[in-house]
Order: sequence, then structure tokens, then C-alpha cells
Amino acid sequence: MSVIPAALASATGLGGVGALAGIGLPDRLRVPAVGVVTAGVGVTGGAAGVAALGGSRWAADYAGLVPLAGAHLAVDALAGLFMAVAGAVVTAVAVYGIGYAAGLGGHGLGSRTAQAVLPLFALSLLLVPVAASVSTFLLLWELMALGSLPLVLPEHRERSAVRQAGVWYAVMTHLGLMLLLAGFALFAARAGGETFTALRTGAPGMSPTLRAVVFVLVASAFLSKAGAVPLHAWLPRAYPEAPGPVSALMSATMVNLGIYGLVRTGLDLLDGGPAWWWLGLLAVGGCSAVYGVLQAAMASDLKRLVAYSSSENMGLVLIGVGASGLFASHGDRPLAALALAAALLHVVNHAAFKALLFCAAGSVQRSTGLRDLDRLGGLRSRMPLTAAFFALAALGAVALPPGNGFISEWLLLQSLIHGLAVHGIAVAVVLPLSVALIALSAGIAAAVFVKALGVGFFARPRDARAASAREAPAPMLAGMALLAAGLMALAVVPGLLGGGLDRAVGAVGLPGSGALTGGGLKVRLADISAQLSPLWVVAALTVAILLAVALPRLYGRRRRRVNARLWDCGGGAPTPRMAYTATSFAEPLQRVFDDVLAPEQDVDVTPVRESAYLVERVRFQHRVPDRIEHRLYEPVLRGLARAGRAARRLAGGSVHLYLGYGFAGLVVLLSALAVGW
Amino acid sequence: MSAGLYTELLDLACGTFLLTAVLVLWLRELAAIVRVFALQGVALAAIAVLLGAHEQRWDLAGVGLGVGVLRAGVLPYLMRRALAGAAADRGSEEVRETQPLVNVAASLLTAALLTLLAYAVARPLTQLNPTPATRALPVGLAVVLIGFFVLVTRRRALAQVVGFLLLDNGITATAFLATSGVPLIVELGVSFDVLLAVLVLQILTTRMREAFGTTDIDDLRELHD
Repeated sequence: MSVIPAALASATGLGGVGALAGIGLPDRLRVPAVGVVTAGVGVTGGAAGVAALGGSRWAADYAGLVPLAGAHLAVDALAGLFMAVAGAVVTAVAVYGIGYAAGLGGHGLGSRTAQAVLPLFALSLLLVPVAASVSTFLLLWELMALGSLPLVLPEHRERSAVRQAGVWYAVMTHLGLMLLLAGFALFAARAGGETFTALRTGAPGMSPTLRAVVFVLVASAFLSKAGAVPLHAWLPRAYPEAPGPVSALMSATMVNLGIYGLVRTGLDLLDGGPAWWWLGLLAVGGCSAVYGVLQAAMASDLKRLVAYSSSENMGLVLIGVGASGLFASHGDRPLAALALAAALLHVVNHAAFKALLFCAAGSVQRSTGLRDLDRLGGLRSRMPLTAAFFALAALGAVALPPGNGFISEWLLLQSLIHGLAVHGIAVAVVLPLSVALIALSAGIAAAVFVKALGVGFFARPRDARAASAREAPAPMLAGMALLAAGLMALAVVPGLLGGGLDRAVGAVGLPGSGALTGGGLKVRLADISAQLSPLWVVAALTVAILLAVALPRLYGRRRRRVNARLWDCGGGAPTPRMAYTATSFAEPLQRVFDDVLAPEQDVDVTPVRESAYLVERVRFQHRVPDRIEHRLYEPVLRGLARAGRAARRLAGGSVHLYLGYGFAGLVVLLSALAVGW
Repeated sequence: MSAGLYTELLDLACGTFLLTAVLVLWLRELAAIVRVFALQGVALAAIAVLLGAHEQRWDLAGVGLGVGVLRAGVLPYLMRRALAGAAADRGSEEVRETQPLVNVAASLLTAALLTLLAYAVARPLTQLNPTPATRALPVGLAVVLIGFFVLVTRRRALAQVVGFLLLDNGITATAFLATSGVPLIVELGVSFDVLLAVLVLQILTTRMREAFGTTDIDDLRELHD
């Protein structure tokens, strides 16, 4: 008797109960009840995922559940990994959400709609990997997209940008769905069946061109969901405008499902493909990693910064998936398994630190009403726990040792460096480039999070609202503490995930890599002589820091402390306006990457009326627009608007004209029929 | 009833049915158009009754009589009343289709083309089972197309109503000729629908006249967007 069906059934039941509670309960009870039920959905769904990671499998068909096609469900270790991640994040974020939405009354995230949709969205996040046929998958995928949309929008009354973000998100996610529909329909039609089993058996018999078309269509859709450049335009809009818990859920679990879809389709259903697929994926991943982190470095909006960092991390994951496919296409399956394991581990790590980052950013926004780093500051003393959580998550995100991001990036780099043993010119060129891109993005990521932490939390407050910030309520802190515990476990004993990770990699037909072994203490690579013991790294760093702090105290010369004013060049006491802002901190980086970022400056001088030499007012405006959006999306949007304006001429307003269209259509159709017969 | 007589009578009824539709295009007096429409209703009822008598299905004949009462009696009565209201209000201007969008000669030519098209389209259907009834099937299609053409080209609201009803007559005739009649309940539903549509359109016409002083529906142009 497997636990998976029982866990999934109870998760589904709890999701339904949560939706009903969200609709039916009065304002006061709604938020806690929905939060508890949603956490239950997360726990049960995550339990199913953990069971699958532990090696149990489950599959079932329910013929009557979906009309015509029937629902096909199956859980293997790969699905289990994504379910376990989603379950853990949903649980913690649900607890966090109780505190976030409490006190909002019937507004914002506390509204009836938002609270009714939240458990269903959480459920759909858990169920997407369970689908084992095209129709079931698309149904759940669309349920997830539809569920997330009302959750992006709750604060639309406060800011008009929310509405704009909602439109961008809805349009991009549905364009993705169309691509997915087209790709999978083609795949299912040619493979002779729409269940994943039928696709697996039918895929080898398809022509290479057809396989490539399917892969490109489906991969574009999944890449847009994962927020990869250049299909990322919705991401830096939707995440900052969504309420804290929702952006945490979306960034930590929903983007993962893009990766899941890519791995499932590319490596499992299509069973790998020619090298150019994977080189393309590597290119997209490299661009996303560097471009995402550069935009994050330029962002002065805290949540936008964290959102762009999602783009960066998904880029790193894509490099891993691409390298895995590339190695597999060259026949080096152990190395392919290692690269995929690194990518999947990074998915897990990214989910942990990104959820915590968004939760902390959300609690800053809830407390101060600010997201602008140029106005924040001084939060360390006002919100010490939130600041500590943000610092912990940032440590994970910068990929430096003792953070958890370091382990997966180290694995990724190991697989890429050892991939040079694989022959082929493309490999020899691409792999070192990827290594360089990863290093570059890791370096800039460090600057990004130093900026976020230093300017946002440590500097002096530049705004009254930041100066009067108050620590988040207990449920929010509890949710963040759960995430922080997971984060530290991932950083110190990643080996606990070892067997599960191997089984997840094995689910797509690659041999287990054995990357994480040694009783949870060591990361050892089986075929490669490389080894890392995170626990020892942490221990050594702790000892080093203790020594660095203690030794000067013990042996340093004890001097009398003199409390004196800071030397101010005679200009008076320094004000917060003199401190580094996020923009000024990022300015040197912006100069270095001037050609890539193409910042826009606008100086507007208004002279006094009597004399051109005396200036009355100087206005200086500076912004760093998203250049890809500028060059790629705006022409398309302009073209669409032009086509729309032209099409309006068809609607002249005369009833006769409209009737005439119908009549002409009918006559043309009948004539075609008459001639055709 | 002998087979020859049945065929003759059916062809006569169908011919009248088509001819009345063409006459609607030719005439300008709205009162005359309504009279012609009533005649078409009689022809339609005759088609149904003939079919029913030929196949010994008296329910079909009953449906035919009901259709006749509705389309030759009730609907023309309603339209005449609307017309009388318009004439009392505005005099002769409102009771004539003065300026159709396509002139009468071109309309008649188009009606001929549409009839040709209907025959061309219905050829494969007729070949399936060549009985007198199916051979008359294109007439129904032709009336559908002519009715649509009236809708597109006539300005007066009442002429529009007639166009709509021609279209519906054509559909009913096609149903009778192709399938020897639809079930009673469906025919009842359709008839009731048509009656309601005419009532709504009559109210709309009255309102239009009150608002704009005319029933030229091109004056509704300003309402778009």
C-alpha cells in the first residue's frame, strides 16, 4: 500500500475544503482557516513527493474524470522531486500568508476571491507533475495559470501597475499555453496516443524534423514559464506587483514547473535529441543568467531585484539541463546524469532561498509600504529577524560557501569542466564559455545581494516609513523560520537528498550520478576525483570567523574608546541623503556594462526668463530600461496596435455593413462548396 | 391523390414560395410587401400540408396549418399594425422603401444569381434521393439567401423584419422538404421564437421612430463603440 494515492487524495480534498472556506467564512476566520488548510495541502502533497523520491511509484487512470480522454496520473521520482519542493514551499508560505493577510480585512490578499483561489493554486502546483497524459497535463497547467492570475491582482486598487502586470502575465502565459498545445497536439498525433507512455514509445519512430518542431514549440512555452530571457518580460512585472506570499509561491515553485516540463519532454518523452537543441538551451541559459543578474544589479526595487535573480538562477538551471542533454547526445551518460543532478539540485536550492527572499521582501513591503531600495534602510535594527532571514537567503543566492547555492553551482561547474573530455568542437567552445558565464553571474550576484542587504537593511533609513518599520507578526516569522531551517539543512547536509536526486535523474533514463553521498555529509563525485564536505566547510568558516573575532580581543592592545563625532569636513553632520543609495552602488557596474544595458539619461535645463545663463531648474532623469523588452517586444506591440487600428475601419457602425459581412461570408462559402463539388 | 397531381401541386406551391420572395425585392410599398409575405406564408403552409397528405402524416399537415396561421395571419397582422402606426405618425415617407442600398433592377438580378447558387449547392443533396420534394429543396435555400439579401440592402426597419422572416420561412421550407418535417415540438419552439422576435423588433421599431423620427436603420450608425 503506497502512501502516494492517499496523500494526493487528501491534498485534493483539502484544496477543495480550502476553496470553500475561502468563499464561505467571514473575514475574521477566513485567513487563518485558509492558511491552515493550504499548509495541509502542502504537507500532504509534499509527503507524496517525498514518498516518490524514496523510490515508490504510482500510476492510475480515471476514465470518467476528464471527458473523452480520461485522467492519467503517474508519480515517479522526477515528479516527486518537484512535488516535494512545491509541498515544502507551499507549507511554509501558507503559514507566512496567515500573518501577511491578517489585518487586511476583506482587501488585498485577504479578499474572498484571493483566499478561495490560493488553496487551489497551491494544489495545482503540486498536481502538475502528477499528470501522465497530454490532456491531463494541459488541464492542470491551465488551472495553475488561471489560479495564479487572480493572486497577482489583489492589490490592483492600490497601484495601476498591478493591472498592467496582470495583463502582461495573462497574455504571456496564454501564448505559452498555445505553443504548448500546438507542440503536444502535434506530438500526440504523430506518436499515436496522448498518454505519456504512448508518447515515449511513439517518439523514436517520428521524423527528426517533426521531433525538432515539437521540441522547439514545447521548449519555448516552458522557457517562458521559467522566465528565461528573452521570454521573461512578464516576470519582473508580475512578481513585484503580486503580494508577498504569492510572489514567493510563483517564483519558488511555478517557475520550477517550466524546468520540469522541459526535462520531462526533452529528456524523457522525446528521449534526448541532436546536439543543437541542447546548444540552444545552453545559449538561452547563459543569456538568462548574465542578463538577469545584470538587470538585478541595476534594479532599485527590492522585489524587482529578487525577481530578476529568478531569471538568473533559472538560466543556471537551463545551462545544467542543456549540458546534460549535450553530454547525452554525445553518449556520455554518467556526465549527463551529473549535469542533470546539478540542475535539479539548483532547482531545489533556488526554491529554498528565493521563497525566503520574497517572504522577507514581502514583510518589508508590508511593514513599510516601500519597495524602493533608495528609500529603505535601517531595517536591521527595526526588523532584526526579517533582516537575518534576508541575509541568510542572500547567502544562499550569492553562491559562496557556506550558502546552499554554492553546492549546486559547484556541482554544475564540475560537470561542465569535466565535460571537456567529451569530443566535439561545439562542446570545446561552449563549455568554457558557460563556465565563464556562470562565474560572471556569480560575481555580479554577490554585488546584487550586497547592494540589497547593505543599502536596504544596514544603511540609515531615508524615508520616515522605513524609519518607523515594525517587525513582522509571528506567523510570518514562523513561515520564514521554516524556510530558513530548510535552507540551512540544504547548505549543511545536502547528502540527505542524495538517493532521491539519483532516483529523479534515473527517472529520465540516465544512470544515477551518486553526486551526493556519504551519509549526508559529503558531496563526492563517483567518476571524477572531486569532493566537497559542506559540513566541514561550515565548521571551518565558523572557526575562522570566531578566531578572527576573538584573537584581536584577546591579544590586541586595549585602547580606550573615544566617543567623538565623525569628522564631517566642517559641513555639518552627515545626513542619510549622503549615504550610498542602491543606484549609486550599482553605478560602476552600470558603467562597465554600458553597452549591454544602454541606460537612458535625460537632462532638462530651464533657464530664468531674463537670461539664458542663469538656470532656474535642472531636471535629471536616469533609467535603465529592459533593453530586450525595448527592442523585441515594443515593435511587436506597436505592430499589433497598428493592425488593431486598421481593423477598426472594418467596423463602420452601419448595421447593413455587419449584415453584409455575414451575407458575403455565406455566399463565398456556398460558392466554394458549389465549385468544389 | 395521384402522384402526378401531387408533384404538380407541390411545384406550384414551391414556385409561389420563390416568386413571393422575389416580389418582396421588387415592391416598394411596405403594405404590398406585407401582403406578399402573407401569400408566402400560405404557400409554405401548402407545402407542409401537401407533404403531410402525400405521406399520410396528419401531424405534419397539422403543423403546416399552424405555420400557415402564424405566418399568413398573425405576423402580417402585427406588421400591418406597426405600419399603420408609422403612417399615422409620419405620413407617406415611412410606408415606402424609398432608397434601398441596391436598386430594384440589380436586386432582381442578384436574386436570380442567388437562386442559381442555391441550385448549384443543393445538387448533391438532390442526387442522394431524387423525389419531387427533394428536387424542390433549392427553393428553400434560395429563399434563405434572398431573405438575407433583403436584410443587407433594405433600409426601413419593417423591410428588415420581412427580410428576417423570409430567411426563417426559407429555413422552415428547407426543413420540410429535406426531412419531411421536423418534430412538432421543434417547430413549435421555432415558431414561438419567430413570434417573439417579431414582437421585439416591433417594439424596437416604435422606439426608433420615437427617438429618431424615422425607421431608417442606417441612423443607428452613431451608436457604435
